[in-house]
Amino acid sequence: MENPVGLAYLAAGIGSGLAIIGGGLGIGKLAASAMEGIARQPNASGDIRGAMIVAAGLIEGATLFALVIMILLVIK
Amino acid sequence: MMLSAFLLTLALAQAPHQEPAAPTPSPVAETAPTPAEAHSEGAAAPAAAAATHEAPAGEGHAAAEGGEHGGASAVLMHHVTDEANYRPLGLPIAIYSKHLYFLVVAMLLVILAARLAIASYKNGEPSGIGSVVETLVVYVREEIAVKNIGHDGAKDTPLLLSFFFFILFAALFGLVPFTATATGNLSVTLALALVSFAAQMHAGISKYGIAGHFKNLVPHGLPAPLLIVMIPIEIMGMFTKPFALMIRLFANMLAGHMMIAALLMLVPLCAAISQTLGIIMIPISVGMALFIMCLEVLVAFIQAYVFTLFSAIFIGMYAHPAH
Repeated sequence: MENPVGLAYLAAGIGSGLAIIGGGLGIGKLAASAMEGIARQPNASGDIRGAMIVAAGLIEGATLFALVIMILLVIK
Repeated sequence: MMLSAFLLTLALAQAPHQEPAAPTPSPVAETAPTPAEAHSEGAAAPAAAAATHEAPAGEGHAAAEGGEHGGASAVLMHHVTDEANYRPLGLPIAIYSKHLYFLVVAMLLVILAARLAIASYKNGEPSGIGSVVETLVVYVREEIAVKNIGHDGAKDTPLLLSFFFFILFAALFGLVPFTATATGNLSVTLALALVSFAAQMHAGISKYGIAGHFKNLVPHGLPAPLLIVMIPIEIMGMFTKPFALMIRLFANMLAGHMMIAALLMLVPLCAAISQTLGIIMIPISVGMALFIMCLEVLVAFIQAYVFTLFSAIFIGMYAHPAH
């Protein structure tokens, strides 16, 4: 291994790309079905919005787990 | 609750140990500072903190002499991680750590807001801040506490309110320049998650006893091989839920501030390439940083709400097990 630090940076870069793909797809699907639900029943939009925010928080949490690992890779 | 969070943070204060390269002084070495050492470190800290967010050109250049990436990331990390012997407003007081100082400020702001709201009751909320606080309090009590914990959820409302307001104020306060976000520190969020964990344990154990609480983790009437699988999963789940709360809050706050700092540091990085490019980048990067700051306000609200909501859900799961 010539340069483990360089490999760590490379891994952090690739990893953050993969993480954002996962997070973006997840929240995209979530937003799509939330929009469809609001379109079908506009008077349930308050409940749907609340549930959407909760689910977005969970998905973001998982994405940020990966981000924390990558920050660790870059720092150490 | 905030007092216990503060004490827990003090006890867990490995806080300012996430170091970049050289600039940030390690407070592990500062535990017994000699006066001369404190003076020199203190002199370094305001010089480093005096670099404004709008024009970090001087510091960026000074740190860029150690290599482009090394200098830039060091400046970035210095802006988002903790800093020992912080001197607020240049007063000759050296505080142990910057995040701890802003934690106390956020705590005092919450208490101040609550007192002002209570004092504005004449015969039902004529004043401004009281009505806002009352709306939020009623929202937390009805939508979050009672809906998720059950009919007796209203007695857990003070804890949930403390979570909500403290996280909200800490996050909003961290957007002001020259401040730091207290919840952007792993020890602070660990303390909050531990308080939430203690509340969950209390909710379960005070109703069912220790053995009953652990028996409620798994559903009744399961066949034995399934029980052998379920018990470690449930026990691990008991610990990973507050852990997830902690990481979610910490990473959201940290990521937001890192993005703001990185966008603003585009200016000296481009200025190192050419002067005019640096000047062109100033409105672009300040505009982008302003947009991210607006997003951060939204994220502050959402993260406070999510933390409170999940605490309520977990407390409800242990107080009224659905199995």
